[in-house]
Amino acid sequence: MKKLIGLLVLLALGFAQELTVLTHSSFSLDKALIEEFQRTTGIRLRFLKGGDAGETLNKAILSKAAPIADVLYGFDNTFLSRALEADILLPYRSPEVRNLKATLLLDPSFRALPVDYGWVSLNYDKAYFKERPLPKAPQDLARPEYARLLVVQNPATSSPGLAFLMATVARFGEDGYLDFWARLRDGGVRVAKGWSEAYYTHFTLYKGDRPLVVSYTTSPAAEVYYSEGKYQEPPTDNLFPELAFFQVEFVGILKGTKNLEAARKFVDWLLSRPVQENIPTEMWVYPARRDARLPEVFRWAREPVGSVRLDPGLIAKNRERWIDEWTRVVLQGRSPEEVRRGRR
Amino acid sequence: MALSLPLAFLFRHRFPLREAFLALATLPFVLPTPVVALGLLALAGPRGVLGVDLYGTPWLLFWGSVFYNLGLGLRVLLPSVLALSEGPYGAARVLGATPFRAFLRVGLPLLLPGLLGGGLLTFIYTFGAFGLPLLLGGPAYATLEVEVYTLLAYRLAFPEAAGLILLQVLTLGLAVLLYARLPAYPLAAPGLRPARRPWALALGVGLLFLLLYAPLLALLLAFSPQALASAWRAQDFTPLPLALGNALRFALLSLPFALLLGLAYALSARRRGWAEVLGLLPLLVSPVAVGLGYLLAYPGLRGSEFLLLSAYALLAYPLLARVLLPALRGLPPHLVPAARVLGATPLRAFLRAELPLLWPAVRSGAALSLAAVLGEFGVSLVLWRPEWTTLTLAIYERLGRPGALPYQEALALAVLLMALSGLLFLLLDRGARVG
Repeated sequence: MKKLIGLLVLLALGFAQELTVLTHSSFSLDKALIEEFQRTTGIRLRFLKGGDAGETLNKAILSKAAPIADVLYGFDNTFLSRALEADILLPYRSPEVRNLKATLLLDPSFRALPVDYGWVSLNYDKAYFKERPLPKAPQDLARPEYARLLVVQNPATSSPGLAFLMATVARFGEDGYLDFWARLRDGGVRVAKGWSEAYYTHFTLYKGDRPLVVSYTTSPAAEVYYSEGKYQEPPTDNLFPELAFFQVEFVGILKGTKNLEAARKFVDWLLSRPVQENIPTEMWVYPARRDARLPEVFRWAREPVGSVRLDPGLIAKNRERWIDEWTRVVLQGRSPEEVRRGRR
Repeated sequence: MALSLPLAFLFRHRFPLREAFLALATLPFVLPTPVVALGLLALAGPRGVLGVDLYGTPWLLFWGSVFYNLGLGLRVLLPSVLALSEGPYGAARVLGATPFRAFLRVGLPLLLPGLLGGGLLTFIYTFGAFGLPLLLGGPAYATLEVEVYTLLAYRLAFPEAAGLILLQVLTLGLAVLLYARLPAYPLAAPGLRPARRPWALALGVGLLFLLLYAPLLALLLAFSPQALASAWRAQDFTPLPLALGNALRFALLSLPFALLLGLAYALSARRRGWAEVLGLLPLLVSPVAVGLGYLLAYPGLRGSEFLLLSAYALLAYPLLARVLLPALRGLPPHLVPAARVLGATPLRAFLRAELPLLWPAVRSGAALSLAAVLGEFGVSLVLWRPEWTTLTLAIYERLGRPGALPYQEALALAVLLMALSGLLFLLLDRGARVG
């Protein structure tokens, strides 16, 4: 009898179990897949959107003492060090790890597991540049006639913005990147708060006035996919693969979770093949699994040749300083020399 | 101030609907910043009614700050202007001064304290503004407040944020000290002048208010009931019932704290000037800073609802006290001694003699602090937890997303919040005026 009651309680608990997943606001997966997970495991999923990737991570860190979620998804390699240093994640070596691309396993402690990857890259509106010449080299972007056509995101508030800033650091070096940005500033570059504002408000494709935008290499494919037959080929294209920045997105189990088993099941599920194959057309990034097939529409997405990678240790050490220096030069109008002098 | 001075001169005339307009001038006191910001966006944003996009320019911000502070300037200036028109100014005219000379030599010096006071208050409020610049300014027009929030929410830079807050408190402290040293305004002389063309004046003032409050009308125009319905059962965002329930619950739960604090403070400050300045401190320290302070000071309490409620109460009680203080000081001085002589204990004397006379002020003060908590944005944002999402946060959450539907939902929620605040405003206006 006792055993039976115990079993019933366990079952009831199992069915009532709710797992809260804190994600960035671009999170999206097929509803049918989510329902299937809930049905087969008895775990109810609640997705909590915390804003931009960095903002979401900070919310998890700020609520460390009384966690608001069980699982955190969506922090990227630019913020990996912060997530690890804040000590908010539990290590979990999922059985799926062996199926993941080895180059993505950036955390040897397995507290952050890679889910997907992609590239932040410049995009341009093809219609606008039909009659006009495109810039030929990244340096051209700083010329007034092109800078006034470009919208970027504020790296302090946006993760693609931060990625693009890091791409310029990698491309022009510690000495040159501020000069590049100072010339962009003088040329009239526009700074938006986040990706959706830049893309959906300022980009000419959506009736803005800027035909050059910092977005993703997969954005052209997404345009075709969502156009419902309107576009046979993308209305936009990538520019300057050498300024594309490699981004990996991670998932981790939050310390203090009361649903450890459910959280592990969720992580396994996220790395399972059906979900991984759903990720490209939902979030427009590449699956971390080696054996995941890409959807047909990804033929419009090219992997950038010569894209930029920065060492995670280098990022961890310099991220805050780069953002500070960028803010001083671009938003506050200081001169690069003055900012460089301030380093010592 | 440049707008509110001539307006104050207009308001010394008697004209139809004057009282209604005067009441309308205090409306912004109870309107949450997301409502006003969305109104401005609905009017002149990227998808605005007017068809001009002023987003990211300083103009929307400027409009918003005039919206908030015109009533303030008017309230502060009106007593001075009223007192002026009866006495010294008239005397100067009788003694042969031209109207211009009389204004320059007699009017302006007498008005100066009022102008400075109103200007300083406007400065204090605008300097600490958070919601409007966050929602309307874009990165180029970030205020100190927005910068503090950005440092905190995106970069977790506690030391830098605390440094900026210190800078802010010092600046505001200076402004408040200046404000406290200003000579008192002359008390209002009751006489109003008859206007020469009362209806024309009413029409003119009406047009000005129409222009000023156009964002709210645009908000109403852009409102769609379907959006409200879809916000009710939203999947991707905080659903309306939770947000509405939270907003009402927090407002009601923090009210007793605020009442207790406000009453205690007003009683202790009624005869001590320094206590009055001290009690203004929470007005100085902005909501974002209060939130940050709570996060830093009580890490163990993070996530407890008590923390949120006490932060709300801390922000709400000075408002309550500002309404209570003048009422307390205006009580007949012999009331309590008389009650005591007749045998009442101090508590009984307060409860039976003073409190009934104070009641209208308590009621309107309570309505004011309820409205403040209902529309609170800064603290709520800093201390955010999913289960604590309030109406203002539900609006903010939807604003950041692309697509027409979230924007429509945000507008609908803003209209709902405006209606709630407006209801409180009616309550408030029946009682004593905001002081």
